[in-house]
Amino acid sequence: MDYTPQNQKDKKQMFESIGIGNIDELFKIIPSHLKVKDLNISGGKTEQELLNYFLNIASKNKKLISFRGAGVYDHFIPSLVGEIIGRSEFWTAYTPYQAEASQGTLQAVFEYQSLICALTGLDVSNASLYDGATAAAEAVLLALRVGDKNKILISSGVHPEYIQTVKTYLENSKAKIEIISLSDNGRLDKNTVDSLTDYNTAAVVIQSPNYFGIVEYMDALSLAIKSKNSLFIVIINPLSLGVFKAPGEYNADIVVGEGQALGSSMSVGGATIGFMAVKKSLEWKMPGRIVGQTTDRDGKRGFVLTLQSREQHIRREKATSNICTNASLNALAACVFLSGWGNAGFSNLAETNISKARYAFAKIKSLDGFKAKFENETFFNEFVIETSKNIKKINKVLLKNNILGPLDLSNAGDNFKNCLLFCVTEQRTEAEINRLVELLMKI
Amino acid sequence: MEKLLNELSSECQSAYGVECDVAIDAQVPENLKRGIPLGLPSITENDLLRHFTNLSKKNYALSTVFYPLGSCTMKYNPLINERIAKNDAFNNVHPYQPIETMQGTLEVMYELEKDLCEITGMDTFSLQQAAGAHGEFAGLLVIAKYFKSIRQKRKKIIVPDSAHGTNPASAAFAGFEIVPLKSELDDGSVSHDKLKEVLTSEVAALMLTVPNTLGIFEKNIVKISKLIHDNGSLLYYDGANFNAVMGIVRPGDMGFDVMHINLHKTFSTPHGGGGPGSGPIGVKSFLEPFLPVPRVEKKKDKYVLNYKKLKSIGKLKAFFGNFPVILRAYAYVKALGGKGLKNVSKQAVLNANYMLAKFKDKINVPAGNRCMHEFVLSPKPLFKNDIRTIDIAKRLLDYGYYAPTIYFPLIVDEAIMIEPTETESKETLDKFVNVVNKIILEESCQELQKLKDAPINTPVRRLNEVEAARKPILKWK
Repeated sequence: MDYTPQNQKDKKQMFESIGIGNIDELFKIIPSHLKVKDLNISGGKTEQELLNYFLNIASKNKKLISFRGAGVYDHFIPSLVGEIIGRSEFWTAYTPYQAEASQGTLQAVFEYQSLICALTGLDVSNASLYDGATAAAEAVLLALRVGDKNKILISSGVHPEYIQTVKTYLENSKAKIEIISLSDNGRLDKNTVDSLTDYNTAAVVIQSPNYFGIVEYMDALSLAIKSKNSLFIVIINPLSLGVFKAPGEYNADIVVGEGQALGSSMSVGGATIGFMAVKKSLEWKMPGRIVGQTTDRDGKRGFVLTLQSREQHIRREKATSNICTNASLNALAACVFLSGWGNAGFSNLAETNISKARYAFAKIKSLDGFKAKFENETFFNEFVIETSKNIKKINKVLLKNNILGPLDLSNAGDNFKNCLLFCVTEQRTEAEINRLVELLMKI
Repeated sequence: MEKLLNELSSECQSAYGVECDVAIDAQVPENLKRGIPLGLPSITENDLLRHFTNLSKKNYALSTVFYPLGSCTMKYNPLINERIAKNDAFNNVHPYQPIETMQGTLEVMYELEKDLCEITGMDTFSLQQAAGAHGEFAGLLVIAKYFKSIRQKRKKIIVPDSAHGTNPASAAFAGFEIVPLKSELDDGSVSHDKLKEVLTSEVAALMLTVPNTLGIFEKNIVKISKLIHDNGSLLYYDGANFNAVMGIVRPGDMGFDVMHINLHKTFSTPHGGGGPGSGPIGVKSFLEPFLPVPRVEKKKDKYVLNYKKLKSIGKLKAFFGNFPVILRAYAYVKALGGKGLKNVSKQAVLNANYMLAKFKDKINVPAGNRCMHEFVLSPKPLFKNDIRTIDIAKRLLDYGYYAPTIYFPLIVDEAIMIEPTETESKETLDKFVNVVNKIILEESCQELQKLKDAPINTPVRRLNEVEAARKPILKWK
């Protein structure tokens, strides 16, 4: 099966039109000593064989009940999302270069941008980036383009893989990265941020809820950052905004995050979507595609890719980013996801995450050998538990019962020895949580 | 005109809801609480389904029309791959779950890496990059790190003026200075002499797209490769046009040290209206230590993730790569096998040459009578009365075709870049050629207004891009 339609008769006619006797003549320009004889790759499977082949491979993955988050979350995906992103008019289209023939994708992305702005309270959203980590890296690069400051402060409460990605992106730049440690209460102290931020600080990057689940006191942190005229880059879990303060309320300049929670499956952490929203004053410095509203010749509303003179296909090495392909289909999924809750429903979704996580938190911390690491802090759907039990054993027992247990934080720094990061989303039932607690109790 | 979501919003039962089976306990301190309205619309599922279904109908897509978008390889996306990718056993995997519970996922990644090595002649692959440009960036970081490791200061990357815009952008992103290289005017190829002029001891690499963006194979590739390597520099292969040469010639054999490949082009994964894509990079073994972590490895019968690579450039994104795209690409490889892949490139090149043969006596083809998988027309000499290529493109939309890539490569005036791919029938190609010839040779002279008015059969007529950029409206009012 190679999906080529031409029969022998067609081919013969095509040869004649071109003026060749056989297909190999078209490859004469390639030096013959470089030509490949055959590729040693098995294949040639029929559709049925292919399906069975992959069912067999898929069966080597295990279906688990997840209490693990740390950047990728098991959330419910409404049926409508699958229905819409499954429409071939969306998934087989290319980047909407011909606007008049791409109004479906363009309007959907415009709606996505509007929804991201509404959620974050910022002015301008782009059409998407690859994922949360690359969005964080692009945010830092954006901040470095604004002035000639070259210091970047990053909270150690930022996802470790995001910090690594930012470091990779800045490897050959003149910028210096410094990490701000969290306080003993698991969040940033405003005095620490204040003392580390100086007039050479281009931006301060803070994640909330942070990697350890705790919601940061963003108002106070923002004041400290703004007093030195630095940009405030916020990494946010979009679902948490159903309850917690929007970045626009505490004067964030750039907001980025992972949008997987908005209608994309976990898929081992990709393909997900990075979102980015900025203040109006930064729109021309933004990376990536942006869709704008305009009118056609008859005055009818329509949508186009806009502010394109920022981009690589026009500006080449002077572009704001090299990004071309982004995560458009995930943006569509996020758009369909965000448009079906209403304000009350979306708040309720966030509250359900909080409630279930708190329910689990209260039960687990009261078990023998388990205690809350940060007793009085506010969290969204993740929390840290310190244990005197053997962590490997805990997760082994849970796995035996088809439960993906909490993340072992022993590698997250000295402060997190013997610590576990639990995640409880709206997907986990009371019965599942009780079962988890029961198993932990027996260890 | 389709309403916007905020215009559809009403006091109704929203589409989705969630039941909390434990007591709601979600009070948070006042200073952490959201104070501004969420501003989300409230719409029923029925109305949302109509809204988005109606929007989908406003797209021209590969599933509805011929999409000869040059350099984008809009080939048929096999439905079986979609079916395989819908399997929850792949989709519900958490990146941090124990590796023994995700052996299926790791097997797909490992095996595709292996097959890509065979297909390209490179020694090893990394699948972490999310798109072609992301692959370029990663490849260039690998090159930078390699030269750092052997303590050579090489800050320059040579990029031909025919290259995709992502090439210079990625090189600048990776901290390099760009040295533009003027291509030969006729076929966009690299001039040995011009290359020599700019090839200093500071040059880290030359980025080449083969075949180039005019659809021509780089005939001097052996000489170029020698020249570059004699200079101690490396050779980078932009795999955007790899659909032309699968099973015919391999970048690794031509002397390329680093390459990226676009799974969403050559390996038939859908474009999704602009992503997600996947841009794996392949390198020769001396560059393997620098690849992003983790690496998927096989120990006895078990697949494992190796993070312990001290010289690695680090992480290009969180986790391992765009797995659903990787999965579809692997399914494609298993459907075709080595023989099928070779046939793909043969047919792609045959289709392109057939179309070229039908155009060449009527419309100017700057690069000559033969091409690989795509070709570029320059109809400028035929244009009268301020007709431009954009008018041809818009008129094609009226005939029910997506327009080819236009105004690229930059080195051809009023360029029209056509890539038919191997999955189109002769009949489709014939019809398209006739329409293009009719528009350029007849309508542009006799029915000028039709071109200037085009498109008239699309959901909207020609859109005002200048207004969009001058007074940006980037969200609902």
